[in-house]
Amino acid sequence: MAVLCVSLCICLPWIGSIAVWRCGNAHSKLQHSVASVFAVATGVMSLLLLLNPAETPVVRIPMGDFFGELTLVPDGLGIILAIIASVVGSLAVVFSIDYMHGDPQLGRYYALILFFIGAMSGLGLSGSMLLMFFFWEITAFCSYALISFHNDDPKAVSGGVKALIVTQFGGIGLLIGALIIRSYTGSYQIGDFLETAPALESGLLSAIGFGFLLAAMAKSAQFPLHTWLPDAMEAPTPVTALIHAATMVNAGVYLLARFFPAFEAVAGWKTSVMLVGLLSALLAALMATRSDDIKRALAYSTISQLGYMIYAVGIGGIFASMFHLLSHAVFKALLFLGAGAVIQATGTRDMRRMGNLSKKMPFVHATFMIGCFALAGLPLANGFFSKELILEFGLQRGPQWVFLCMLAGAGLTAWYTLRIYTMTFRGQSGEIHVVNPAPPAMKTSLAILAAGVLTTWLFAAGFSALLADSLPYHNVHVTTNISLIHEIIRAPLTYVALLVIVAGGACWQFRDRVVKKFRIPARVTQFVESGYGIDIPYTAVVRITQRASRLLRDAHSGQLNLNVAGISAALCILLTLLLAGV
Amino acid sequence: MQIISIHTTLVSAALLCALQAIHSKRLLISALWLAALSALLSILFYILGAEQVAVIELSVGAGLVTVLFVFAINVAGDQELKGRDIIPIPFAAGLVLIGILLLIRFIVPLEPPLRTSRSVSFVETLWGLRGLDMLVQIVLIFSGVLGLLRILAEAKAPLEGAVTEEVAALRERDLQALAQQSTAATERISQATPEPF
Amino acid sequence: MELSSLNILFIGAAALLGIGMYGMLVSHNLIKIVVAIQILVKSALLAMISAGLARDEIQLSQSLALTVIVADTIVAVIGIALAVQVRRRIGTLDVRELSKLKG
Repeated sequence: MAVLCVSLCICLPWIGSIAVWRCGNAHSKLQHSVASVFAVATGVMSLLLLLNPAETPVVRIPMGDFFGELTLVPDGLGIILAIIASVVGSLAVVFSIDYMHGDPQLGRYYALILFFIGAMSGLGLSGSMLLMFFFWEITAFCSYALISFHNDDPKAVSGGVKALIVTQFGGIGLLIGALIIRSYTGSYQIGDFLETAPALESGLLSAIGFGFLLAAMAKSAQFPLHTWLPDAMEAPTPVTALIHAATMVNAGVYLLARFFPAFEAVAGWKTSVMLVGLLSALLAALMATRSDDIKRALAYSTISQLGYMIYAVGIGGIFASMFHLLSHAVFKALLFLGAGAVIQATGTRDMRRMGNLSKKMPFVHATFMIGCFALAGLPLANGFFSKELILEFGLQRGPQWVFLCMLAGAGLTAWYTLRIYTMTFRGQSGEIHVVNPAPPAMKTSLAILAAGVLTTWLFAAGFSALLADSLPYHNVHVTTNISLIHEIIRAPLTYVALLVIVAGGACWQFRDRVVKKFRIPARVTQFVESGYGIDIPYTAVVRITQRASRLLRDAHSGQLNLNVAGISAALCILLTLLLAGV
Repeated sequence: MQIISIHTTLVSAALLCALQAIHSKRLLISALWLAALSALLSILFYILGAEQVAVIELSVGAGLVTVLFVFAINVAGDQELKGRDIIPIPFAAGLVLIGILLLIRFIVPLEPPLRTSRSVSFVETLWGLRGLDMLVQIVLIFSGVLGLLRILAEAKAPLEGAVTEEVAALRERDLQALAQQSTAATERISQATPEPF
Repeated sequence: MELSSLNILFIGAAALLGIGMYGMLVSHNLIKIVVAIQILVKSALLAMISAGLARDEIQLSQSLALTVIVADTIVAVIGIALAVQVRRRIGTLDVRELSKLKG
């Protein structure tokens, strides 16, 4: 039964992807229905995984000595990732029924989304590092293909290529780590590695650890490899909600959480993880306060929240980190889908041209407000509980100065959240005419996600029990709902955090007075807005590659004599090398 | 001593033939030097004890291939091509010399052969051990002949069309030139005509 | 340095290889390049027979050499046919002009 569930979680969306493609672009209604059916079926299948979690591999495919065994393990981490991918994926697909209405290339769109959903479930469920790398690369490809989905738009294409290059650069770290593990322990299995990790020499272990950290930084868009995520906002909004908010960017956090017990002991690893999380959280929050494009602001917010999750992993709070991952997936998808509804209705992404939409789009306004509550960390939304849990862990276990910075980050979060909300939904009407309020399919997805935001924190107890039972190497803190609520209500930290959040909101409200008090030179704001200059090495690499290839064109002369000269010279060099070896 | 000197002479003669084949100005002479090279090598093979290959090499190398070259040269023409050298001769000679010297460095520490009596016959080896080779060769010959026929035959039909197109284009150009000449001439005449009376 | 007959043979093969490569480096006429390829193959034949001599497996090396002769003849045939076609269609046998890459 478990075998069936696990394999279907991966194969069902892949079959759906082929089915949608074969439908043909002429029958768009059929494509919409087929895609939704397969996506929802996958969602249901992934929820069924909760029935039999396992510690040991459930599916084993032997691939000979060289590739080891390809295994699938439905343990806590894997199940949660698969559930998020499938359920949020199905909601995004339902949303796309109305968002992508009338698009001429639906086959490609749905096929890629379904392909991605299957690959993401596989990434979480795989127990062999080689299989995980395989799924990792598939998600990177799907992300690139979906970002540059409108391939007649040069900005979309360059955004897709940038995403591909940066995440692949990180993927090198993952591959090298996996190969080192294979050569020193003889197996690709994650379980075996976690068991034998203390026996490896520390130099090797640090190499693997930092390689994995590099891969996680690239995939989760952490500082300094974060520049691809804002440029990836050229993708259609359901794609952004699914890939760049809820699932693929979580792969980095998942990677670090999965391998945490192995690298705990490596000197400086936990500190680096914490620092990466801290820097991303703060710097991205700063950039979110300056952005006028609604999707870019939400993208910076994603980077910032991922920073929180990575910080939590760094201090050892695996449960807190994964709990916030779950909450963030739900509320960020909600915010992005809401933004998508707004973008479709108003025709623009620029928040300065929007305003007073609360009257014209009441449903979207309500759900967006719930999402904002969660993002800012206000009570009753799941974001509140998970963020408080992270901050408490931080206070108990981590260094104090890092904790204070993260607390300040919570204030910044409230600032930009309120900013996004007021610029879009409050204030005076912009120059936009709202064409029509949200169509029913969009409303369904938004409603389900809003309900999720208000209720997923109730699963905290079950979730922590699941993690504790199925992860033998991690020490997971088990909690029940009541104790969680008690903890949070009693801790003074909660009230301090709420105060900071309110202060952040107030800063935005009274921003004129705040700005007058602290005069920031224009150069600094420019530096912040341009991404702290991180884009410079990227454009430099691209330019150098293009120039080098233009120089090498001279070698392709097509002259036979020159080619033969090349062959003879190579022969001489080969003979010299052989002589030198002998 | 006897044997060694025969080998040396044959080999050096072969090298001379090859050099001349490259250096001669006319293609026909080049093909003839190639035939001479084949002949010398076939004698060398015979002396070394590889009789069957010697015979085949003589007939194929000095016969068949030479005839083919002569045919091609007749069809394609034998004119000399002028123009600058892409790779200057000293550089090419130097590169090749370096390669040969490196190879000689590998060759020199080799042991002379031990001669024992021949026990297995050629035909047995050919069909017994290398039977698959023979099949492959037959396939190769067939495909070579077919390819040759295909390459040579394809030219006929489109070439006719191309030729007539070219001719038509030339005629067109001539006509246009004539028309231009006539208009220019009439203009000159009208300009040069003196005013009546 | 005493050079045995085997050494002479192999050195001869190496030298023929060199001359063949030299021919390909220096010639501009397509047909002369086919001639140079033929010289290369002859050098390989010589090396093969000499190797058979060195290992006292002349029969085996003769069989291999036979295959090489057949293959090389086919190569010569096709090469010449191509050269003839090039002359007919493009009009020139000069290798320097037979290149469409912009470089």
